[in-house]
Order: sequence, then structure tokens, then C-alpha cells
Amino acid sequence: MKKRIAELMAAVMAVGILGCVPVYAEDGVTEISFPTMWVGVNTNTDWFNERLEAFNEEYGDTIQVNVEEIAGDQNYVDKLKVLYSSNSLPDTFNAGGYNLIDSMQDQLVDLTDYVDDEWKSLASDISWEVNSRDGKIYGIPYTRQVIGYFYNKDLFAEAGIEEPATTWEEFFEQCDMLLEAGITPLSMDTADSGWVTSLMLCAIVGQTDEGEEFMNTNLPTDYNTEEFIAAAEMIQTMFQKYTTSDAVGGAYENAASNFYMEETAIIANGPWMVSDFYDDTLVEEGFADKIGTAMFPGSVMYNSGKIGWNIASTDEETLEATLTFVKFMTNEESQLRMLEVTGDIPASEDITSDDVYPLVNEVIENGNNAEHCINDFQSLWYANVVDEISVQYPLLAQGEITAEEFAQALTDAAAKN
Amino acid sequence: MKKKIRGGLWRIFRFLFLGFMALISVGPLVWIFLSSFKTNREILSSAFSLPSSWGLDGYEAALQLAPIFKYYGNSVIIAVGSTALNVLIVSMAAYVLARYKFKGSTFITLLLSVSLLIPTAALLMPIYKIMIAIGLFDTRLGLILVYAALGLPTSLFVFKSYFQGIPRELEDAAYIDGAGFYRTFFVIVFPLARSGLATGAILQFLTSWNEFMFGLVLTQSAEVRTLPLALNYFTSQFSFNYTAMFAALTMVIIPSIVVYVLLQEQVTTSMVAGSVKG
Repeated sequence: MKKRIAELMAAVMAVGILGCVPVYAEDGVTEISFPTMWVGVNTNTDWFNERLEAFNEEYGDTIQVNVEEIAGDQNYVDKLKVLYSSNSLPDTFNAGGYNLIDSMQDQLVDLTDYVDDEWKSLASDISWEVNSRDGKIYGIPYTRQVIGYFYNKDLFAEAGIEEPATTWEEFFEQCDMLLEAGITPLSMDTADSGWVTSLMLCAIVGQTDEGEEFMNTNLPTDYNTEEFIAAAEMIQTMFQKYTTSDAVGGAYENAASNFYMEETAIIANGPWMVSDFYDDTLVEEGFADKIGTAMFPGSVMYNSGKIGWNIASTDEETLEATLTFVKFMTNEESQLRMLEVTGDIPASEDITSDDVYPLVNEVIENGNNAEHCINDFQSLWYANVVDEISVQYPLLAQGEITAEEFAQALTDAAAKN
Repeated sequence: MKKKIRGGLWRIFRFLFLGFMALISVGPLVWIFLSSFKTNREILSSAFSLPSSWGLDGYEAALQLAPIFKYYGNSVIIAVGSTALNVLIVSMAAYVLARYKFKGSTFITLLLSVSLLIPTAALLMPIYKIMIAIGLFDTRLGLILVYAALGLPTSLFVFKSYFQGIPRELEDAAYIDGAGFYRTFFVIVFPLARSGLATGAILQFLTSWNEFMFGLVLTQSAEVRTLPLALNYFTSQFSFNYTAMFAALTMVIIPSIVVYVLLQEQVTTSMVAGSVKG
């Protein structure tokens, strides 16, 4: 027995020690590190694998990208926070739009001097603005954030609705019509910052000029504004009257599932969702034909830049290699393939393709025609405020707090920074 | 007659109770197994219906999406390794602290136990830096050591209280017969404390098997990563594949159940061995 235990322990130690052996790059090859969340079912996985392969074909002799797979968006951010605390951020990272510039700025490379006019032309001005702080560039944009809402045309017709609402008053009237027809109007959620719900909240805020300004302000600290409180009140009504019972506590997948199953008529989300409308394992055949796209009432669309690639290389040689990699992943071809493979909108307004689902182009057009263009909360707000939303939404939904208290809770969270 | 009725009712109650317990234990596993054959749409539209076909698409997708078996193997090595290390080291410490009073023994017990109160999140960064410094970052050995240490306070409590319950006379008899300290511990005390050690070992194994955050932060390559990380490959913020996830869970759960069923008798036998003399 003792011998067996000793053998087992020796085997365990040996396997562990084998894992310690480091891997060295060949001579003349610069290694850079990049953790990716684009693995598994992530919508960008195929795109990333394709572009990485293309990069390796072109630069594999001189640059080796050590890719670390981190499945799960929140896990990715959590790990980066630990690496930041330990002053050991990877050479480059991309948190999929999550704003880490403000919390990690001191360890990020100021890229202003490295971005020439040619590179600048590959993204819209607003995209560069979102990735800059005090005139200095800390992120390289690759996609834009263009988001409206999708609605089920069949369910709208069943309720006697002909066109999407142009004002929020009309929107709520349509919700009542859907309810009368026995249809739950809205897909909503509260977990993981309540993405779907928060898109609605911020779109309501953005319908006035003051609200639009608020929704384009980086790191707001005061949420006690007239527009924000009024929007929170409307969200409370939506939770209490117009959504499914699993909205409180539910995450994006619950909201999406309800829309796919045609149990709800409306969901706010970006064009990357469109490919799911054609996936027979998720939806009934022909589902995509039933779907329409719309601007939020008040002619509001999310149409802004998105946080892109951040660089934290600490020496010149690695920085040069990292810049080459990031430049490749954000070039025209990469952005075009992003549009075609994932439906995500390129950072450059000049990149278009006919090889995409028609609904994606509809969303882009809605973005171009909107009178109020706003940015999304995940890009703008302090990370702890984004986290706080998931805590406060259930309380708001259950009537345990008022819209004013909701706004105050976010203000308090922002004040902690 | 009354006695007969009462006996019959008691039997029915026992049958119902055991049936209910079996249902809540096996039900979720059966549900996961059945769901692994359903499409995402079937899972979402009707959670309790049977699959429309018994194809293996979900299993194919699961194997394509995530390196499940590699992560499974790592989990086995790391959980077994950390459990063996934890039981061996902590049982020795617990024995000394349970049996001998010396200057500072209470302080040492307190010191080892108080780590239970430190939040895991607070340990992440310092442990990450230590692992980098000693060259154990991204290794199985690193995780084995960290997991063994994380389970230290719990195991110490379990082992120490168990050792305190063993009659001291048995050790005295061993010493009289000429056994030394180590022999007394390993040959006399260790086997007697087997059930206490098994309790601690099971807790330690489960902690290591399910641990996520250290597994994420202290590793980088797929070569050393563990199973809890693999399950995140099937859901992300804007997409999910439940069929593949349930197929992956089935593939992960079934070997564990088979091993448990095969070894169950031996585990039970070894736990009660030596308890009755004659």
C-alpha cells in the first residue's frame, strides 16, 4: 500500500515537473502574448482563427503569437485585472468592447506616435475618440458599435401593429397591444450587467440632446439626472408589466431564448445576433424572414466607436512585433472578414460587403439615419458601475427601490473610483 | 394486525422516501444525458421532452469546441495529487497538534486555521506572483501545491478532531512494543484514522476538482488547464450551445460514475477494515 502511494506521488510530481519546462522561441523570432476570449462558441472564434492563421503565414518567421485561451468574457476581464495588479499585463489584449483603458491606463502604451494617417483612415473619427484619453490613443479600433432592436413581424401583425414605434409613448402603447393579443412584448435580463435591458435604458436616456450628451460622456459620475431617472422609471414599468418571468435573474441567453422561441416580440441587441436567426438548431426554419430591425424610439441608435486592441508591451522589440500583429488584426481585410463572418460592423465606414445577411445592412442603415447616436454603457461607464447594475435591476424590478434610488446607487458606485 | 398495518405503512414510506431520494439524485443526470441529444431549440422550447433524434452531433460539437479530455486528465492528476499531498502533510501536522502540547502549539493551530477566513480573491495576486517567482506558474505541480494549501485549514480541523478521538493507550502499547514515532503514526494511527482521513480527502478532492479561479489565473496553456475552465467554452456573452455543453457534461460525468461504481465496494471495505477484531 505504502509503495503504491509512493509510486502515485512520484508520478504526480513527475508530471507536474514536466509541465514546468519552458518553451523557447527559435532564434530571430519575437514572442508576443495575447490572451483571447474568442474560443468555443464565441461569435468571433472563426474570424480570429482565420486571421491568426493568415498572420502566421505572413509573419510566422519573425513573430510568434503565444495565444492563451480564456473562455468566458467575464473570466477574461477577471484574469486581466489580476495581471494588471501584478504589473504583468500581456503584450496585447482585446476585451471585446469592455472598457479597461481607464482602469489600466498607466500600464498601457500611448500609441499616438505609432498610429500614422494610413492607419487612422481605417477607423471612423468616433472610433478613435472612444479609444483615446486626453488626446492620446490607448486602443486600436476594429469594429463599431451599431445597435438597435429586432422585432418579430408576425407577432406585431398578430397584435395589429404595422410599424415600429417612433416615440416611447407609442412604444408602450404597442406593448399594451401585444399584451392584449396574449404576447409578451419584451425580452429583458438582469444578470451580467443586464445587457439587453441596459440597451433599452440607455436608449431611453439618449432620446433628448442632454441624454445623448450623457450617453456619449466617458465615465459619468452623476446618474441623478432627469433623463436617467425617467428612463429607470420606464425600465421598472417594463420589468413589472411587459417582460417574461425569467427576466429577473436571467442573463442574455434567457432573453435571447425567449425571442428565438417567439415568446417575446422585441429584443435589443447588435447585428452579431443575426446569424443565430438562420441557425436551425436554435430557431424554427424561416425565422429570419419574420424579423425586422428598428431604431429605438426618438430616432436613437447606438452608433459609436468600440474599445479595441490595447497594448502593454514593455520593451521596444516586443512593442514593434505587437504593433505589427495589431495592425494586421485591424487592417481592411480583417475588418471586412469580421463583417462577413460575424456580422460585426467594421470600424471603418468605408468597408461594406454584399456578402452579409440583409438584416446586418439594415442595422447599419438605421445607424446612419438615426438623429441621436449614442455609445454603450459597457464602453463608457466605470467597470464597478456596470457590475452594480446587476445588483440594482432585481431591486428595481421588484419595486424594492425607486428609480431615484437606482440612479443614486449607480452614482454611489461611480464615486468609489 | 395493527402491527402488520404499521409495518406495511412504514415499508411504503421507506419505499417512497428512497424513491424520492433516488429521483432527485439521478434525475438531473438523466436530464443532462437526454438533453445532450436534443437540439438547442428542443432544449429551450421544452425542457422535459424526449429528443427527436439520438444523433451524436452534440458530442461531435463538444469535442470540436473544447479540449475536454485533456482538461479532464489534468483535473484528475491535479485533484488526486493535491488530495494525496494534503492528506499526507496535514495529517502529520494534525497528529502532532492533537497529541502534543508544546510552547506555541495553540498559536500554530490558530495560525493554520485562520487562513480559512482570508477571502480567496485576496490570495489571487500574491499567489500568482509567488508562482511566477518560483517557476511553478502554468504547471500542474503549481496547482497541486496551491490546492493542497487551500484545503489545509479544513483538513486540519477534520484530522485533528479525529486524532483526538483515538485512545492514547493504543500508541502507548505500540511504544512499549518498540515502535518509534513514525512507525506508530503510519502503522497504528494512520489506519485507525482512515475514515476521518477519507472525509478530509473527499472534501479536498471536491475542492480541487471544482476550483476555477486559481485554475484560470495560475495557468496559461491548454496543456495544464482543468475541467471547470472547459465548461466555459460552451457559453459566452452573446452565444451558447447547450447541446454541446450537456454532451460535454455527460462525457465528463459518466467516467466518474463508472469509476465510483467500480470502486465503491473497495472504498467502503477499506473504510471499515480493522474496525472489528476477530
